[in-house]
Amino acid sequence: MPQIDPTKPRFWRSVEDFTSGADRPKAAHGYPELVGREFPVGATEIDGATRRDFLKLVGLTAAGTMAAGCMRNPPERILPYVRQPADIRPGIPLHYATSTSLGGYGIGLLVTSREGRPIKVEGNPDHPASFGASGTFEQALAYGVYDPQRGKHVKRKGELSGWKSFKADVISRLEAAKADNGKKILFLDGPTASPFDGWLRKQVGKTLPEAKFVTFTSVDRDAVFDGTELAFGQRLETRFDFDKARVVLALDDDFLESGPDRLVHARDFARHRVPAPDGAEGAASLGGDDAKTRPSAGEWMNRLYVAECAYSVTGGQADHRLRVRGSDIICLAAALYARLVPDGAADVAALAAPYKDSKWVAAVAKDLSSRGAQAVVTVGTRQPAEVHALAAAINATLKSEVVEYGRPLLLDTKSGSSTLKDIVAQANAGQIDTLVITAWNPVYAAPSDIAFADALTKIPNVVYYGQFEDETSVHAHWFIPAAHDLESWGDSTSIDGTVAIQQPLIAPLFDGVQRGELFGAFAGMPDSTAHELLREAHSQTSADMTANGGFEPWWERVLQKGVLSPTPPDTITPTLQTAKIGERLRPFKFERIEGIEINYVVDNKVHDGRYGDNAWLQELPEPLTKVVWGNVGMISPAMAEKNGLAAEEIVKLTVDGRTIEVPLFVLPGHAEDSISLAIGYGRTGGEAIARGVGSNANALRTTSAPWFGSRATLAKTGKSDRLGITQEHWAMEGRPIALTAELADVKRKHLPMVEEQNGPQPSMMDEWPNTSPEGYRWAMAIDMAKCTGCNACILACESENNILIVGKDQVRRGREMHWLRVDRYFEEVDGSLADAKVVVQPMACVQCEKAPCEYVCPVNATVHSDEGLNDMVYNRCVGTRYCANNCPYKVRRFNYLNWHNSLQGTYEMKMNPDVTVRARGVMEKCTYCVQRIEQARIATRTENHGVGRVIRDGEVVTACQQSCASGAISFGSLHDPKSEVSKKHADERAYAVLWELNTRPRTRHLAKVRNPNPELA
Amino acid sequence: MGLNPRSPMATTSHVLFPRWSNHLVRAALGAVGIGAGMLLIFAFAYFRSPLFTRQNEPINQPVEFDHRHHVRDHGIDCRFCHTTVEKGESAGYPPTEVCGSCHGQVWNKSPYLATIRASLFTNKPLEWLRVNDLRDYVYFNHSAHVNKGVGCATCHGRVDEMAAVFKHPPMNMGWCLDCHRNPNHNLRPREFITSMTWKAEDPEAIGAAVAKQNNVHTRTSCSTCHR
Repeated sequence: MPQIDPTKPRFWRSVEDFTSGADRPKAAHGYPELVGREFPVGATEIDGATRRDFLKLVGLTAAGTMAAGCMRNPPERILPYVRQPADIRPGIPLHYATSTSLGGYGIGLLVTSREGRPIKVEGNPDHPASFGASGTFEQALAYGVYDPQRGKHVKRKGELSGWKSFKADVISRLEAAKADNGKKILFLDGPTASPFDGWLRKQVGKTLPEAKFVTFTSVDRDAVFDGTELAFGQRLETRFDFDKARVVLALDDDFLESGPDRLVHARDFARHRVPAPDGAEGAASLGGDDAKTRPSAGEWMNRLYVAECAYSVTGGQADHRLRVRGSDIICLAAALYARLVPDGAADVAALAAPYKDSKWVAAVAKDLSSRGAQAVVTVGTRQPAEVHALAAAINATLKSEVVEYGRPLLLDTKSGSSTLKDIVAQANAGQIDTLVITAWNPVYAAPSDIAFADALTKIPNVVYYGQFEDETSVHAHWFIPAAHDLESWGDSTSIDGTVAIQQPLIAPLFDGVQRGELFGAFAGMPDSTAHELLREAHSQTSADMTANGGFEPWWERVLQKGVLSPTPPDTITPTLQTAKIGERLRPFKFERIEGIEINYVVDNKVHDGRYGDNAWLQELPEPLTKVVWGNVGMISPAMAEKNGLAAEEIVKLTVDGRTIEVPLFVLPGHAEDSISLAIGYGRTGGEAIARGVGSNANALRTTSAPWFGSRATLAKTGKSDRLGITQEHWAMEGRPIALTAELADVKRKHLPMVEEQNGPQPSMMDEWPNTSPEGYRWAMAIDMAKCTGCNACILACESENNILIVGKDQVRRGREMHWLRVDRYFEEVDGSLADAKVVVQPMACVQCEKAPCEYVCPVNATVHSDEGLNDMVYNRCVGTRYCANNCPYKVRRFNYLNWHNSLQGTYEMKMNPDVTVRARGVMEKCTYCVQRIEQARIATRTENHGVGRVIRDGEVVTACQQSCASGAISFGSLHDPKSEVSKKHADERAYAVLWELNTRPRTRHLAKVRNPNPELA
Repeated sequence: MGLNPRSPMATTSHVLFPRWSNHLVRAALGAVGIGAGMLLIFAFAYFRSPLFTRQNEPINQPVEFDHRHHVRDHGIDCRFCHTTVEKGESAGYPPTEVCGSCHGQVWNKSPYLATIRASLFTNKPLEWLRVNDLRDYVYFNHSAHVNKGVGCATCHGRVDEMAAVFKHPPMNMGWCLDCHRNPNHNLRPREFITSMTWKAEDPEAIGAAVAKQNNVHTRTSCSTCHR
């Protein structure tokens, strides 16, 4: 084993890992202990059982197994269709194009259906916003549709009622509302850009001309529109094309993981996160292999600067990251504006003062201006309009080609908490008779200074349309269960203007009502189905329709492709109004908040809380903290030390007299004197899974300081909570595992750390014999330069391979079942973790050719296939767990309990029939999606009247690879030297993790590349 | 070992068990050992026997469908009803309307077909019983076998002679592997795939030719069938 060189960068999994070092002192709270343990907690003993109990249990189990084994199963029943639908052939999966929306913007989906059950969600390759990739929220839809906690009945004042009774009630109310044209009817909707919603609103307007539609979400994009209004005098949609960007400055903007275009951003950004273009793409874009036409590596690779408070996914990709409090960003933006927009410098002098002489700002400004059109400044939606205007002005001055403006697509570009304030005022004045809430859970999502629930009591008729009986439904007179996105007809518009159709995969499981039908009832069409309404909404003749031979053939085509033929997005070139920006900002003066500032962040898992009941998302490790099931107060290591605070300690957090309790997490790279807290937790609604997980940040938020800008006080409570943190499990003992390199070193091919992890090795074991008839040698390559650590692959794997969730308590014991994990390491800078950098490394079974697990299995339950897969035979496994102990990568997962016993009815329908559901006492791990390999094999081997052909490169796509937006994962066979994976394995950055163990893994990782600015080095 | 000297037992010369009882214990222990061995042998035999595998055990279906009549007498091809046998993992079970497509005209008043008519009129599926039931962790694919030259009769036997269909081979893993290790004697030309009566004069030679033509190479890795 190579000695650790102290001069090399060192990587740490957490602050505790860093501080404990070699001698590993016992820490007060749980997880550092785990690092030194041979087995995870609970793995070596049966809870509360003595040896005698154990023997009794063993005896009983043995007897039971014998008895059960001798019994013959009763014959299975087969129920064929009476009349088989033309396109359904049992056993052959079908794929339907549909779409979903988040924050009003659509993403196209391609959903796999088995015998009428949607089981897997992928991106629609024909949809420009998903191009075949998908994120965590899209993957999690497959869980959401089967969630047995969903609202099941129409309820009136908490009593069971029915959809027909509701429609009768609506009809009578519409009659009554005719007198005043529906003036007292108000619709509170979530943000939407769907043309169908626009059409429905028009229809409602025909029956109720004066009824109003307003929009609310707690994660609004208002600042983007307000910012362009300030900078250009018009409300505009802002889009970014990171394919054109070479220098990017993200001001508090997690553009890789949040926002309507996150997948496209991740793809385009990752394309330029490597020293040179990849494979075929590179050859094509460079016009052959001619070295002279090849641009120097520096020109291809981009550079990312990030200024933010808490580490975000985008922050983890930064080449230079400045940790500042949320309220400091405006000063930073002003300082850049002063340097880059010459005629505006005087206006922002006061605001820019704190960062006037900052070396960081000077270097970034110089880099941005030297790149000109290829440089861009992006701003997160948490920042106020002024920061957006400053960035827009900088981009306009740089003549950035990366940024593009267009007409707003949302039906309503004002969706912030001011909407709720207006409703409260109108309700108190008795101006609302009927409030129809289709926005997600406003009672929970409202800031603490708006008494929205009280206002609802003053409205005679409140209708709440939602998927769950939650905090809002208890205040509503009518609760209408909403159909899931996979159960509804509708459409969506993505940020580039592409309209996609949403078609149901399954009839509503719990009698949910589709959106179209709800609005149809108010538009005087109570008996129309959503399908009929949608067809009517799209019935207007278009050129495309005529070209396709009329409505019906056109509609069939649209349903098949999922998208209406794309219209190029309209681009607007607005004129910058520097004077207006100056006018607004001149009076601004920076007032630093003394003490600790609170900083709210949007959660990567439950978003604003709407996915709280999704157990897949709850158990997903947060990308940076790796905390599951709940939110934590994130503070910097220095702040923890200064205030004598430790991780997992529960503190009382007080803002303006309102208090919540929250456990702490010490996050390297966090800004000083600031505590970050994710919104969306601490739910009290009827959802069994969401209820009581984490603390409710909305109880502290106010309309004036929705994201930051309030002072918080921290008080110790003496209590602590053992968090569920996945990164502390499966320790890797300080060896060089996640490698990084700098662009300059890659260019001059000086990669000593990578070279050390390569090369020939002597071995006492026999070479792996390739006996595969076709010669396939399946292998994977994971490019850490491209991986952002967004976690979509984990959920894709979970969905594909029937992986079950285990709950917080079991995660604490290290029993999580995710086959694929994404490790996050903090890289120390100058011997401290204060400004630590982040490296993420996806890790699943690497399919060793000389697999340590295979040598120790006493029952041959894990054996090698002829094509180099490390097969796991569930039926042979007796659960000794020797293999997991001997696995140096710690990627094997053991079923300590019968997790699937806890599955409730509908969720069983989610299971992928191509993958075995594992029982208790069985080991499992990544199989390289062997079911997909076998499907491809059978499909290709039966072609040409049974003669068959070989599987071509790219015909087997693993679930993780398919979901990955940034294209970090490649899969294929090494027997083909031209395959993508062969090329990646031959890359100079490729290395075998734990090479010195001589396991010859089939998964190679490619070292992360950073592109630092020499001026800031 | 030994008795506690303070125990009242120690002071008496009484022996609880006579000396010959030692032989009894030895014999009993031996019997237990032999019994365990026998049990093991019995278990191995039992799980391979038709008692457990349901081999050759005709299953009574809800409809008295007779393959002898449909296949042998009328020469209806297997694929007329089992439509996905060349395309999917499952050979496919005919929907009731396939029965109705003929029996709407022929024998449409027969009392034998009352169940079929009831299914058609009430739109309730027929409940057939599975004859060839593989364990759920086995991923068998019909198309992979049929397209490569394994005939229907090779695994399912002479269905055209079965009044009620029964499982012909044991269909356990050993039986699968026998063929996967040496498939040639079970291969036939494509045109005879569904034939019930086809017999090769020299199975090995024909099998080898088919294997060559169809590029047959069977695999025995675990993940071939278990995923």
